[in-house]
Amino acid sequence: MRPGVITHVTPIMLGQVIVSGLLAGALYAMVALGLGLIFGVMRVLNVAHGPLLMLGAYITYWLFSTVGLNPYLSLLVSMPLVFLIGVALQHVLVRRVVDAPELSSLLLTFGISIALVNLAQLAFTSDLRSVEFLTGSFLVGPFAFSKSRVIACLFAAGITTLAFLFLQKTRMGKAIRAVSQSREVAQVCGINVQRIHLFAFGLASALAAAGGTLVAVMVAIQPEMGAVYTFKSFLVIVLGGAGNYPGALLGGLLLGLVEQLASLFLTTQVNEAVAYVLLVLVLLLRPTGLLGGRST
Amino acid sequence: MTLATELQRWGRWFLPGLAVLLVILALFPIWATGYGVRVMLQLFMWIALAQSWNLISGLTGYVSFGHVAFFGMGAYTTGILVTRGMPWPLAALAGGAMAVVLAFVIGWPCLRLKGPYFAIAMLGLNEVLRVAASYFEGLTGGGLGLSLPTLDASVRIYYAMGLVALAVTGLTHAIVTSRFGLRLMTIREDEVAAEAMGIDTFRYKIYAFLLSAVAPGIVGGLAARDMGYIEPISVFPLLTTITMIVMVLFGGKGTIWGPVLGAVILFTFQELVWAHFPHAHQVLLGAIIITVVLAMPRGILGVLQQKYNLPRTV
Repeated sequence: MRPGVITHVTPIMLGQVIVSGLLAGALYAMVALGLGLIFGVMRVLNVAHGPLLMLGAYITYWLFSTVGLNPYLSLLVSMPLVFLIGVALQHVLVRRVVDAPELSSLLLTFGISIALVNLAQLAFTSDLRSVEFLTGSFLVGPFAFSKSRVIACLFAAGITTLAFLFLQKTRMGKAIRAVSQSREVAQVCGINVQRIHLFAFGLASALAAAGGTLVAVMVAIQPEMGAVYTFKSFLVIVLGGAGNYPGALLGGLLLGLVEQLASLFLTTQVNEAVAYVLLVLVLLLRPTGLLGGRST
Repeated sequence: MTLATELQRWGRWFLPGLAVLLVILALFPIWATGYGVRVMLQLFMWIALAQSWNLISGLTGYVSFGHVAFFGMGAYTTGILVTRGMPWPLAALAGGAMAVVLAFVIGWPCLRLKGPYFAIAMLGLNEVLRVAASYFEGLTGGGLGLSLPTLDASVRIYYAMGLVALAVTGLTHAIVTSRFGLRLMTIREDEVAAEAMGIDTFRYKIYAFLLSAVAPGIVGGLAARDMGYIEPISVFPLLTTITMIVMVLFGGKGTIWGPVLGAVILFTFQELVWAHFPHAHQVLLGAIIITVVLAMPRGILGVLQQKYNLPRTV
């Protein structure tokens, strides 16, 4: 038997695991919403989404280690900065492949992704970095919750709510949803589709950066940390149904739960494998997502 | 005389030239140094890998971001079998077979759907296998790796690698010039139209995917035998997938000789120039991918084909 494997599960452990899963899930949902936004609006799967998250994490680390800025305050820097990086990427590169075959956009964003990872390696080396800010846990009855995870969850929930309100209530948000429903009709109605694409890519990048800032306090930061988030965000979109934005929320929470439950019975090492098996199962059994979405 | 007719004139010398080149390569180990043999062996490996990626991604347009998974699968299968006493050529073939099994398990759910699903599934597969290789310590030696019994077989591995590279190139030629190849390329150009014409797209995608997994599996096994020691990090590197992709894009995806051309050019560059800049390696590769996708999506050979009306089967 491996160390860390548990055979007897008490209700308290189960409760702890469920809450931890939901805490992690809120973060997944926020990051995946960004990836889903680009996918919905442009039909482009942005492989560089995870590396943009990594940039957010490094911005936070850098501000924390040089000027001692509170990591949560650095959201105010990382989100706008990566928003601009996203807009620039869209304007200079991605714009040119939106209407090209999938192969082009996948390869292009893959190229961006490996370049970003390498640039981070050059700037910060491959050493593991950490932001030691909030350690310790909140104790609630028999449960213990890591402070940084609870606060990350609150921020993620807040930012996701704002993003949803933006999509639902504002003219720009409505225009984004219109373009993701039908680009041609939106264009006929007088929406500047190029501008919407630009803004959607920026917004998605900012959501990734927010994810990066929040995980910076919880996990080790290194240049290759992003790929996992690209993969998990995509899984969340698949779970929720492509183009179904509320579905992404459900997908995120579900992924968090499944991962935590699995870590109870296996070791945390196999987190990624669990997510992978989940992806393959969903693709096999319900390829349009749990809530149903645009068929592929 | 225009360049086009010039090229056509050269065309007659293509087959004889190829035959001479093969003879030279076959005799190469007689006078070459051990280092020379090792370098050429790696070139053959890259040709086989690039050609294999071309089979699925170049022909059907389904991008595989994790083709090194088959390489690693082959390496571990071979490593495990060799440490239990199986002769290495047989073990490498078993590596190829295991890679095909893996391709089937992944391809069955993912290839029924459109491109991005497959691409991301392949991106994740590599990570999962690396974790699995560390996890099942009893079989794989875990993070400590697996040492193969020492054996000096460079020259024999040279021939084996060369044979695999030649075989995949021959297979690509056979496919591109066949109805099967036309069907694959129809899927790439317009999958809905392909289906409307009665092509069972799922079945053909699976065939192409299985074929594209064989050589990486065998080559992975041969590389494991050559290195004599394997560990999760050394046989599942993302960089290998990236390099395969860049080679094919650069040379010309969907062509027969493009991947060979790309492998030779990029490998030479890597050995001569980039070895001096190991830190900025991936930025360069990323920049090449972006440039080729935006400026030269057909690659070198594709551009030549279009400009000089060369046959599609070049």
